Amino acid sequence: MAGGREVAISLDGVRDKNVMQLKKLNTAIFPVRYNEKYYADALASGEFTKLAYYSDICVGSIACRLEKKEGGAICVYIMTLGVLAPYRGLGIGTKLLNHVLELCLKQHIPEIYLHVQTNNEDAIKFYKKFGFEITETIKNYYTNIDPPDCFVLTKFVAPSQEKK
Amino acid sequence: MKGLTLNCMDRKSEAYELVRLGLKNDLKSHVCWHVYGLLYRSDREYREAIKCYRNALRIDPDNIEILRDLSLLQFLRSMPQDETVEGVPKSYNVDGKGRFIVAQMRDLTGFVETRQQLLTLKPNHRMNWIGFAVAHHLISNGAKAVEILEAYEGTLEDDYPPDNERCEHGEMLLYKISLLEECGFLERALEELHKKEPKIVDKLTYKEQEVSLLVKLGRMEEGANLYKALLAMNPDNYRYHEGLQKCCVLHSENGKYSSDETDQLDALYKSLAKEYTWSSTVKRIPLDFLQGDKFRDAAVNYIKPLLTKGVPSLFSDLSPLYDHPGKASLLTTDFPSPFELKQADIIEQLVLQLEHSVRNDGRYPERTEKEPPSTLLWILFFLAQHYDRRGQYDVALSKIDEAIQHTPTVIDLYSVKSRILKHAGDFSAAASLADEARCMDLADRYINSECVKRMLQADQVALAEKTAVLFTKDGDQHNNLHDMQCMWYELASGESYFRQGDLGWALKKFLAVEKHYADITEDQFDFHSYCLRKMTLRAYVEMLKFQDRLHSHAYFHKAAASAIRCYLKLYDSPLNSPAEEEDNTSKTPSQKKKMKKLRKAERAKKLCFISGGEEKNEESSASGNSKFGKRHIKPVDPDPHGEKLLKTEDPLAETSKYLKLLQKHSPDSLETHLLSFEANMRKQKILLAFQAVKQLLRLDAENPDSHRCLIKFFHKVESMPAPVTDAEKLVRSVLEAERPSISQLQNKTLSEANKVFLGKYEDSLMHRVAVAEMLNILDPARKLEAVKLIEDSSNKVMPTNGALGPVMEWKLKDCIAVHKLLDKVLIDQDAALRWKVRCAEYFPYSTYFEGSRSSAVHNSLNNLDINTTVNGGASYPGISGSENSVASNGKLEAFKNLTI
Repeated sequence: MAGGREVAISLDGVRDKNVMQLKKLNTAIFPVRYNEKYYADALASGEFTKLAYYSDICVGSIACRLEKKEGGAICVYIMTLGVLAPYRGLGIGTKLLNHVLELCLKQHIPEIYLHVQTNNEDAIKFYKKFGFEITETIKNYYTNIDPPDCFVLTKFVAPSQEKK
Repeated sequence: MKGLTLNCMDRKSEAYELVRLGLKNDLKSHVCWHVYGLLYRSDREYREAIKCYRNALRIDPDNIEILRDLSLLQFLRSMPQDETVEGVPKSYNVDGKGRFIVAQMRDLTGFVETRQQLLTLKPNHRMNWIGFAVAHHLISNGAKAVEILEAYEGTLEDDYPPDNERCEHGEMLLYKISLLEECGFLERALEELHKKEPKIVDKLTYKEQEVSLLVKLGRMEEGANLYKALLAMNPDNYRYHEGLQKCCVLHSENGKYSSDETDQLDALYKSLAKEYTWSSTVKRIPLDFLQGDKFRDAAVNYIKPLLTKGVPSLFSDLSPLYDHPGKASLLTTDFPSPFELKQADIIEQLVLQLEHSVRNDGRYPERTEKEPPSTLLWILFFLAQHYDRRGQYDVALSKIDEAIQHTPTVIDLYSVKSRILKHAGDFSAAASLADEARCMDLADRYINSECVKRMLQADQVALAEKTAVLFTKDGDQHNNLHDMQCMWYELASGESYFRQGDLGWALKKFLAVEKHYADITEDQFDFHSYCLRKMTLRAYVEMLKFQDRLHSHAYFHKAAASAIRCYLKLYDSPLNSPAEEEDNTSKTPSQKKKMKKLRKAERAKKLCFISGGEEKNEESSASGNSKFGKRHIKPVDPDPHGEKLLKTEDPLAETSKYLKLLQKHSPDSLETHLLSFEANMRKQKILLAFQAVKQLLRLDAENPDSHRCLIKFFHKVESMPAPVTDAEKLVRSVLEAERPSISQLQNKTLSEANKVFLGKYEDSLMHRVAVAEMLNILDPARKLEAVKLIEDSSNKVMPTNGALGPVMEWKLKDCIAVHKLLDKVLIDQDAALRWKVRCAEYFPYSTYFEGSRSSAVHNSLNNLDINTTVNGGASYPGISGSENSVASNGKLEAFKNLTI
């Protein structure tokens, strides 16, 4: 019983067999519905899209898209990162983000970026903790939510010393 | 020889011809006769095969091969045989001589003889000894079997067995000991067991055998100790627990214990719990015997950690506590006993307390540790199932909806919501929720199957078939389900066809199930020689016994009963009268139209689907054949739609073979005799019908259906013309002699008996309805009185301490039956409509009554292609309308809303 509160958090990939889980999460967490391209991108990103399980319950996810920049370099765009309300504050978001950051490090991907609504201070604080910086402000990015503006947050992954 | 080869190559007729030619040339060739026998055997024509073998043996009496083949067949002789009549395999040749009684079923005496012959011919062969012994065992001559085995042991060297045969030898010894036990030589068995201990490899069975003998010998203390030793090996084995309780004289079959016994059991399990802290069984069992406060404490301690951990099966684990103890309530509307209420009420109270505490405080009462967020989810999940079980569907739904909102990713939540809706009477909503659950894990066969079942319950047959096929081997459509003997599917789909009035398809499905049972009977063939060789004799004999009562299995019962119902319906309303079918649906005109449309659409879909499926079938079976040359050609089904089955000349005659099987194997089921009554009344077999009535009275004289049959029967007898022939006179005199022996009718007219019955069960809906129906039959002029009797019934609140909402007494199923009765039997449309309105009130989720909260009202029956997106809201597609507008906004995909 003593260790009962230490609940295991594990990550699992997204496949066509369980993509519905991701849809359920997004429906619950975000005020928008995502289209099929979102899910196709997520599936295509492979290891960069993950579901988080809290003692076998799927409670959160990170979904990324791999993009090719001019010049051929690959960068990662985080489409969504979210955890169901009752399960926040348990380190699940951190675990998901860390997973992607580590993966970038391993695969020598130099740049990760994302969009965030300008009033979402919690989110901005959260990302800054991981070394993200505001690199751009886009006016009228969103169409039917207020405020319509967003920041672009970017993290440039320093080439690691201890090469693996 | 060539004939045999040809047979394997599926060129049957050529094979037979060649063999016959061979016989013509040399009638004295035992080889030819043997081959002829083998041919018949492969066609399952066992009687013919045995004849051929016997002929062969007449020529060469000592031929081992033939003797062995014969001995195998003697097992099967006069067992269910597939007699081929016009290419349609007919199973179960029951010929009224009671062939299905175990002793007669197998040609056991013949078997013994043959085995003896084999043994005398080749006494150095182990198999022959064993075979002979088993033969004697099967003719209930266990003592002789033991003798044979001992004689066999006598032939063995001292250092037997060699290392590579130790398992086989050990099995033989255990078999011998179980034989001794069966014969009642308990002391000897125990002695032998101890003596042979070093030679028995299976130590666990050794111990189990030992404890069983000790208990039978009344050496309880030793037994208890041994059971404790077994529990040390596996504390979760319920059989050991039961054994231990029996040894301590604390076991009770009906779950009732004196307070003294309870205390002793409590003490026993407290000590066990200390020893086996990890065993959940040890914690669970006390809930079965504890009561009151002690039960409460034990339940809290049992439930809390499991809710924290998240065990979805917790409710099913506890649900036996909700069951009626014993057989107290065969009456559908009987009150649950106070005992049951107590246990379930205590559980309800304590879980509600947990809910309150966790919701407000995040922890269990009087605990400092915070619960993980999932605890609330599992509590809600549990409560939803609890209220579902209690029949409080609206509370159950609100709990499950809250759970879905809390954590929309847990598949079990959707399955449970689907189940609640099913119970509440909304089958199409249940189906679409099950489909939502299915979509969440496409790799889970269970969820897929559950979804298929819900679709069938909602009569979405085509959709169900498509869904089921997702998990069969690719391409091999429907047939694959049949080959895998997927009986639940065939039953459920048969029921659905039956509801939709498609008797041909329904019959086809039910008969398919029945065919599986024939196949299972055939399958034992494989084991006869294998088991003798491998010495798994105990399992072998068990298998044979299992085969003998195979047809008492629930699925067979269902299939046979439903097939009979099909035939009865076929008899009552002969083919090709679609108009009649329309009459059956007593809907408002607009509804009728909808139904028609829907049905048309369904049918069209079905047809195109089916024809597609068939093409593939044929293709694949053709290609399958070229690939696997040895495979039997699957004969193309000559009757894919069951049309031929419908055209049977005499549907009543068809019922009799299934009835006989039911009567033989399910004699204690009311349904068996109800069907027998219905069939025999139609056949004018008065005495057989009377027999059924007597059986019904024996089983449950208080059942409304028993009452119905009784009254109907004597009403019919009274209205029969005076007997003319001798036979008729005889029948009449039998009945006259019997009638006074029926207590319900003593010195009473039928009307009076009917009244007495009403007086006895005035408060029970189904009893009132039965009385009303009989009232109308006995005197059609009193129809209005009958209708009034039904309408005056009142739906009472069940006496329960439930904390939330009242539970009504009436069951949905019963109310639907009443509606049909008012509508079709009493033919009072106004009353039927009034009944419907009233029931829609009681069952707001029922699609049948078009309750205000059912999907029948919400989405106009058009459930086949709902787009579902809102979590758990699948039944109401209106909500999901927003989907497209949002998703089409391409930019929005980049929306970022972080939540940590």
